[in-house]
Amino acid sequence: MNDERTLKIREIAKELLSKGEIAVFIGYGKGTCNGKARPIFVRTPEEADELIFDSTCSNNLVTYLKFPAVRDEGVVGIVVKGCDAKALVGLIRESQLMREQVRIVAVTCEGVVADDGQLQLRCQYCDVANPTFYDFLVGSPVEDQKPRDFSGLLEKYETMSVEERWEFWQSQFEKCIRCYACRQACPLCYCTRCIVEKNQPQWIETSSHLRGNFAWNIIRAFHLAGRCAGCGACEDACPVDIPLMLLNYKLEKEIWDYFHYRVDLDPESVPPFTTFKTDDRGEFIL
Amino acid sequence: MARIGVFVCHCGENIASVVDCERVAKISASLPGVTYATDYKYMCSDPGQDLIKSAIAEHNLNGVVVAACSPHMHETTFRKAAQQAGLNPYLCEMANIREHCSWVHDDHEKATQKAIDLVRIMVEKVRRNHPLEPVRVSVTKRALVIGGGIAGIQAALDMANGGIEVVLVEKEPSIGGHMAQLSETFPTLDCSQCILTPKMVEVAQHPNIKLYTYSEVENVSGFVGNFKVTVRKKARSVNMELCNGCGLCTQKCPSRKIPNEFDRGLSNRSAIYIPFPQAIPNKPVIDRDHCIHFKTGKCGVCEKVCGTKAIDFDQQDELVNEEVGAIVVATGYDLYNISMDQPNDKLEGYGEYGYGKYPDVIDGLQFERLLSATGPTGGKILRPSDGKEPKNVVFISCVGSRHNAKGITYCSKICCTYIAKHGMLYKHKVPDGNAYVFYMDVRTSGKRFDEFWRRAVEEDGLVYLRGRVSKIYEQDGHLIVKGADTLSGVAVEVEADLVVLATAIVPQPNIEKLFQNLGISYDEYNFVTEAHPKLRPVESSTAGIFLAGACHSPKDIPESVAQASAAASKALILLSKPELEREPLVAKVNEATCIGCFYCLRACPAKAITEKEIKNRAGEVLRKVSEVNPSVCTGCGTCVSVCFSNSIDLEGFTDEQIYAEINSVIERMSVIQQ
Repeated sequence: MNDERTLKIREIAKELLSKGEIAVFIGYGKGTCNGKARPIFVRTPEEADELIFDSTCSNNLVTYLKFPAVRDEGVVGIVVKGCDAKALVGLIRESQLMREQVRIVAVTCEGVVADDGQLQLRCQYCDVANPTFYDFLVGSPVEDQKPRDFSGLLEKYETMSVEERWEFWQSQFEKCIRCYACRQACPLCYCTRCIVEKNQPQWIETSSHLRGNFAWNIIRAFHLAGRCAGCGACEDACPVDIPLMLLNYKLEKEIWDYFHYRVDLDPESVPPFTTFKTDDRGEFIL
Repeated sequence: MARIGVFVCHCGENIASVVDCERVAKISASLPGVTYATDYKYMCSDPGQDLIKSAIAEHNLNGVVVAACSPHMHETTFRKAAQQAGLNPYLCEMANIREHCSWVHDDHEKATQKAIDLVRIMVEKVRRNHPLEPVRVSVTKRALVIGGGIAGIQAALDMANGGIEVVLVEKEPSIGGHMAQLSETFPTLDCSQCILTPKMVEVAQHPNIKLYTYSEVENVSGFVGNFKVTVRKKARSVNMELCNGCGLCTQKCPSRKIPNEFDRGLSNRSAIYIPFPQAIPNKPVIDRDHCIHFKTGKCGVCEKVCGTKAIDFDQQDELVNEEVGAIVVATGYDLYNISMDQPNDKLEGYGEYGYGKYPDVIDGLQFERLLSATGPTGGKILRPSDGKEPKNVVFISCVGSRHNAKGITYCSKICCTYIAKHGMLYKHKVPDGNAYVFYMDVRTSGKRFDEFWRRAVEEDGLVYLRGRVSKIYEQDGHLIVKGADTLSGVAVEVEADLVVLATAIVPQPNIEKLFQNLGISYDEYNFVTEAHPKLRPVESSTAGIFLAGACHSPKDIPESVAQASAAASKALILLSKPELEREPLVAKVNEATCIGCFYCLRACPAKAITEKEIKNRAGEVLRKVSEVNPSVCTGCGTCVSVCFSNSIDLEGFTDEQIYAEINSVIERMSVIQQ
């Protein structure tokens, strides 16, 4: 299934590579499992014919940009969907990437599917189907921009009693094997020494025990508050199916309610935790 | 090896009446790391401090925990004592068993247990303390005074006479402030101008004072001893070097119907004007909002008549940078106004007084202008509406002040005395007139103030009626003032020709922007907050910034002058040192793990963080990390809380210390649970 976007991406990748404008192009290729696309690194114009784009291109390729080894290759060409672009802009906003280090091929996107062929949860809340941050835009405009309203999804959990909610998350975090796949997959978890690896003092227990699991998963979510691009990479990567996006969505909602801030495609936008304002809301302070 | 001494203070009865201090000391002695523990009646006293010093020497202590009052009270005291005994002062910490324990609990057993826990926590912290050295910073031996009223003038003159170069910034075209508007001053009735103008001249002529009028402080950065200030010199449209102040332009200007601010709207001025005859500098300024040339591009009469070619329509605002070591804030006050529109929704106007629509209902400063020889009536009491001499004048106190429903709870302090003065001066000028005063209380505290108001009543015959005025309305050319005399219990109605309102004293409008820029705290009314209400009344919450005059609270002239001199002397003390020592309790970046997201840089309220390049031996930049300037950092910890990778620690409050403190509580709790 070679849709128009596939051909266009190949064309752009070939041109960038043959002109020497980029050292490597990160895109999607045909996968070997369930017909699902996989990430591929293309370094010659010939290899560019392996690139594809379809609704199985679920991975967030921006994750690779957090690794110095990838950036060190030179200028990187990269395929991004709207949600991935948010993560890329986040890296620029947080000084991890310079704009000139990437050539961005953004694709308009009607949604991607999970392994089971169903539309990904995140695509139901997508407000960036037509990305606005790119060097090249591929695909025809998608009309359907959706509101980022998670209240329907979260209602079930928000109306639980504290005890019920505690029990729910206990049953989820019990499963955690502390493989840190969520962290590895997240484009914005880029610290070279993660807090969980700091042991003077050891705030978070590292053994796969409920106590440390709670601390880890909650702190991971908190560190993404006001930063999370909503790409769903963490949840997709989780081998034990912890619904991590519930936490991320809840925090996105809280940040919106409290600070009226939402992660967007503007590298100059100011996340609430990077500001110091004397008139910040402070009703939680006694 | 920790060798910690624990010193438990009884604070007389303050702690010992609830906490068993002897037992706290006994149990503390058995805590891990504690070598010596004792208790004493007053640890802060000389023998108490000696106890600590000799124990340090005798037991070779390398850490001290004083279990006593709040560190705000005596941390410095005990750290100095430890230092005198040869210990690094930052190895001494306080466990607060007074404010956090004995004062708030009455169960002796539980309070004693809690005191022991508080000691345990601090011992765990001190075990992880390490010696710190104070941050030393140089001092710029110059000072900035913001506001050129009597407080600012006094502070500037005192510092200038003390040999310090002073930058005085005044937002109006002339210095002098409200005092220049006053007629005569209580309780001596000496002429305000006569005592103020010589000081204004002294400011202008002082070799150590650099005066910026018609200028505002635009930005302040830096810290104690090293402030960087940007001053906006607003375009005056008159070249101050060429102008000789002849005033011909102000006479010829055709735009003459502009309410005169100095006379509080009781007279008109021209578009090019000198605020008042004794102004310093005595040179005009063009009010561009009302100037015909600026509105239509025509006119230019002033330019034509000016013999020295001083008119400069093209002049632009100019930004100048000044470096100073200390700042005195003397931004003064304004008067609350009774109109419908208020600067914020906390305040409410006076519908019962017609929201200010009657021209013969005026405020205290307007009455000052009527009394003043330089005023619009040349000192004759003539009412604004028809220029007739009023025979019945009503003075109303506490208009806005002490009036919760209108949004101001405080007392404006000077009104009671100035009302007595107003009534007295009125009676001197209109001997056959009647002066009535509606008051809530007469609060004339101050040297010879009470005698002064008694004189107003007994010798000049002012009629004092205790009660509020419920309504003012116009009838047949008179103002009907309806009120009550609560002492005799009858309703009172006065047919007045003029009503003078002692409206509340409020800070200058929008002054909080400046205070935010300076980083000093202010209260809900926008008055500057002092560092300590009793012991540090002229210091702001920020080191190196002092306060004087009515920006702090309503004040009369002698108090403003006294406070200005106090602020000046505090600033002089600061500037007399070759360098300053700052607390080393500042943030520190772990460069090895800092990932350089620079969230801390953006969040830092003190602007103390910069980007630092980590280079290899060949000089190539490998990566960028955050760096804290210890002489700017205030140790607030905002950066610590935004750092995802936990790469910033606050000296004196490191993660390791806090973690140990929390752990000691948790361990103790689990013991109790078992």
